[in-house]
Amino acid sequence: MADVNITVDGKKVAAPAGTLLIEACKSAGIEVPSFCYYPNLSLQGACRMCLVKVEKMPKLQTACTTVISEGMAVSTDTPEIHQARKSMVEMLLGNHPLDCPVCDAGGECELQDMTFAYGAAESKFIDIKNHREEQQWSPVVYFDRPRCILCYRCVRVCGEGMDVWALGVQNRGVSSVIAPNKEDHLECEECGMCIDICPVGALTSGAYRYKTRPWEMRHVGTTCTHCADGCKTTLGVRRSDTGMEIVRGDNRDKSGINGDFLCMKGRYAFDFANHEDRLTQPLIRKDGRLTPSTWEEAFELIGRRFKEIRDSAGGQAIGVVGSTRTTNEENYLLQKFARVALGTNNIDHHRTADFPALAAALRGKPEATASMRDVFKAPAMLLIGNNPTEQHPLLAWQIRNNVRLHKARLYVINSEPVKLRRQAVNFIQIPVGSEGNVARFLSGDDSAAGSISNPTATRDAWVALRDKLRGEQNLVIIFGSEIRGEDIASLVKFGSAVPSAKFVCLSDYANSRGAADMGLYPDLLPGYHPMSDAGKWRDEWGGVPQTPGLTLPQMVESAKAGNLKAFYVVGANPVGRLGIDAFSFSQRFVVVQDMFLTETALIADVVLPAANAYEKSGTVTNTCGDVQFLQKAGEITGAKSDFEMTVRIADAMGFDVSKLVPFSRGTHSDMGQSRGAQSGEVDRHGVWLEAQGLEPKMSPFDPTAILDEIQRLVPGYGVSRANLLAGNDQHTTLSGSGAGVQHDPALIAPANDTLFTSGTLGRYSRALNSVMENRQKQPAEEVAAD
Amino acid sequence: MTVLKNIAAIAKGMSITFMEMFQPTQVENYPDGPGPLKGAKFQDRFRGVHVLQRDENGLEKCVACFLCAASCPSNCIYIEAAENTAEHRVSGAERYARVYNIDYNRCIFCGYCVEACPTDAITHGHGFEIASFNASGLVYRKEQMLAPQPAHMGANAVFNHAEVASGELGVR
Ligand code: SF4
Ligand code: SF4
Ligand code: SF4
Ligand code: SF4
Ligand code: SF4
Ligand code: FES
Repeated sequence: MADVNITVDGKKVAAPAGTLLIEACKSAGIEVPSFCYYPNLSLQGACRMCLVKVEKMPKLQTACTTVISEGMAVSTDTPEIHQARKSMVEMLLGNHPLDCPVCDAGGECELQDMTFAYGAAESKFIDIKNHREEQQWSPVVYFDRPRCILCYRCVRVCGEGMDVWALGVQNRGVSSVIAPNKEDHLECEECGMCIDICPVGALTSGAYRYKTRPWEMRHVGTTCTHCADGCKTTLGVRRSDTGMEIVRGDNRDKSGINGDFLCMKGRYAFDFANHEDRLTQPLIRKDGRLTPSTWEEAFELIGRRFKEIRDSAGGQAIGVVGSTRTTNEENYLLQKFARVALGTNNIDHHRTADFPALAAALRGKPEATASMRDVFKAPAMLLIGNNPTEQHPLLAWQIRNNVRLHKARLYVINSEPVKLRRQAVNFIQIPVGSEGNVARFLSGDDSAAGSISNPTATRDAWVALRDKLRGEQNLVIIFGSEIRGEDIASLVKFGSAVPSAKFVCLSDYANSRGAADMGLYPDLLPGYHPMSDAGKWRDEWGGVPQTPGLTLPQMVESAKAGNLKAFYVVGANPVGRLGIDAFSFSQRFVVVQDMFLTETALIADVVLPAANAYEKSGTVTNTCGDVQFLQKAGEITGAKSDFEMTVRIADAMGFDVSKLVPFSRGTHSDMGQSRGAQSGEVDRHGVWLEAQGLEPKMSPFDPTAILDEIQRLVPGYGVSRANLLAGNDQHTTLSGSGAGVQHDPALIAPANDTLFTSGTLGRYSRALNSVMENRQKQPAEEVAAD
Repeated sequence: MTVLKNIAAIAKGMSITFMEMFQPTQVENYPDGPGPLKGAKFQDRFRGVHVLQRDENGLEKCVACFLCAASCPSNCIYIEAAENTAEHRVSGAERYARVYNIDYNRCIFCGYCVEACPTDAITHGHGFEIASFNASGLVYRKEQMLAPQPAHMGANAVFNHAEVASGELGVR
């Protein structure tokens, strides 16, 4: 579209036709104050803070509802405008309580900022302010009515953005009041978007309530550890007796892949980190009981036993299970440890999607995977299986808002009437378990149509849908773990008939994709290279075991048969989550690294207390393949990162750890002497050196030494280090992957998490539990827009 | 002659000394004076060890807004906030300071915190005898600074922290 030229405060600005004046001003670096205007929400025109003077127009105009037109001359700051805005603030303050000192929004409040800017500090009103008691609407949402300035942002974000429509307005005029859907409480997705978007402290968070103040926390931008979408989240951290306490999760920095969004889990479920059941000391089984011990004793015991078993029974007598929540570096290190130090390929993880099949199908196809940002921009989307609203809240947000804002076409094929059908141009319900048939039918196999046709979706309707999809451009094909193995190949075959189609394969945990990419498979090396294609790694590591190892169910069988003698579980709970038989491991040497005494930890001989994702740095990869940085928020006294523990175990086995972690490499030009970073300040020199790959890796516990190796060897991971460190997401494609291997589809066990569960982690979050309890009392129903 | 001159000069000087010797004492008689202040006298505006005030109902005035901590140039105030409940009410507003520490190793008695406080909860008392051989003892806790219960002393009362610490003024 041709640009329209306008003048703002004497500055020439060009912007596409149809741009709102307030946005045009912003693009010129001139900020027009606003309360009710919020980008990407419908226009409200309620607060009149954005008044500006447009030449030749008789009165002041609201910049948030005025569309620019050619030759417009605008002034944004004249005494008249200043006066108008001042009176607006004065009106708002007329009934606003002066309780900033106790208000949780104090310090981050837009009304405070406006009062400072326009100085309506004195009131001309003599009437007594109208007081109302604060209300608790849900375990995590509080509403303080007198503080509300009626900007309706919350109503709009809940309805338009979340498609929940739980908030509304009662009454009209001055007596308008924001109301929840169930008279005195809310039944909703508890996402907290309304709290985040509220410019004042009318809606506040139950989790952060009266704990501290915004300027008192350290704000750490990191990546959410709950689902596989990888939202960027900012943790507010303060000191505490145990080392650190996370007091808030929010979304200050809107630069992440999630933009404005965070779900219930990202916003409130950080509290597992401070749960009182956390392990802070290694435990060793003595006389049948797990007894606290020292780290030295634990490592010595593990090292000695692993070495004995490896030397007497061979590496195949040891099984290793990796995590879907630890970092890429830790996963890579773990499989390297298994293959190099233990000499076994017996390594697996809780698989929740068939990435090897996707990698095999997309091999050599550049740009065939969609990033989370692509999902927001795609002109058309096809969703087969899964229920993103529950399992992938961010993905659902991207899809919904893409449809709403960009008029994208959404096609949904599911065995359930999932909520996203409401955004779909075409929703077809299929019998449970026939997603694979859909893939085959789409790829051109008409014989598959029979099992998916029914009176509402006839064969002809399916053929019409397929033709329509083939006619789409830049279609993003999103599929759940229902589609596995050969069916993925069929779907990719269909995709190649659509110009520039891209794929998203949905897995369930924060780093499920990373675990797959890093080779936590008994028959695949990192980057989906089968054992027959081990060249690079053999050279690098000086040898890789040839024969594929055991999958997790095979390890259990082998343990039962007495062949598997040791079991090393890192950050996973196969007994609790996959229902493996705990008794198979009696008389076996079991080592578990975890935060809590999980079902699996209960059968262990040694339990090592582990740090969680918020307590370490590293990289994680979301389900789309976007690599992001985890920034360490703090640490709890007593726990160690999985990275450090694995290295210490290798060391205790007498293994040369420099063969495991390539440390002491790098340029030794600067050992840190020339840096001037003060406490709390960014060590810019260090960041620069790290970004250039020049930072010396002086410690075997330095995960960036492994990151160097990953970036060198794993296809797709050669992303810019500077961007990673700056907190930007970077997409990796699967085009350079190895050939992959066909796996038994039964090995995939979806987590089936909902909005309020998160694998084993969820039950240690008080926030999630309180919402769940509340839910059980009053089951929620779906509310449609009216 | 010079000898006589010198003697005269000394006599003149000493006469002033002797004259002053019999005048009333001008300096404060600290620490040998009478009363709890041991003879120390203060201007009202003297800035000594802080006092955390209570309101007329005996509730703490501090609402844990952290503004004092934010304004403190030496960064020596540490607060942890918590919510009042009907069963456990500590301050008059929704929140109170569960922990309130001032580190007197670092405090420069500038009074910015007093200036910043929106509820007049923190004031400077007249306590000054805080020298210690133990630096960690200089981190004062809320209980050491809290005004006695009930609050009949009002803001800026003459106040000596030693008596508070010894329990003489009836702090809970
Ligand atoms: S928490 Fe989310 S779903 Fe609930 S009312 Fe607020 S915006 Fe709506
Ligand atoms: S509660 Fe907050 S977001 Fe909602 S209308 Fe009131 S001020 Fe606006
Ligand atoms: S959508 Fe997923 S990654 Fe984002 S906040 Fe929610 S649980 Fe975390
Ligand atoms: S008197 Fe000054 S230095 Fe001392 S606590 Fe108050 S603000 Fe800080
Ligand atoms: S003493 Fe005053 S300024 Fe400091 S936290 Fe308490 S109320 Fe706020
Ligand atoms: S921002 Fe324009 S009227 Fe509210």
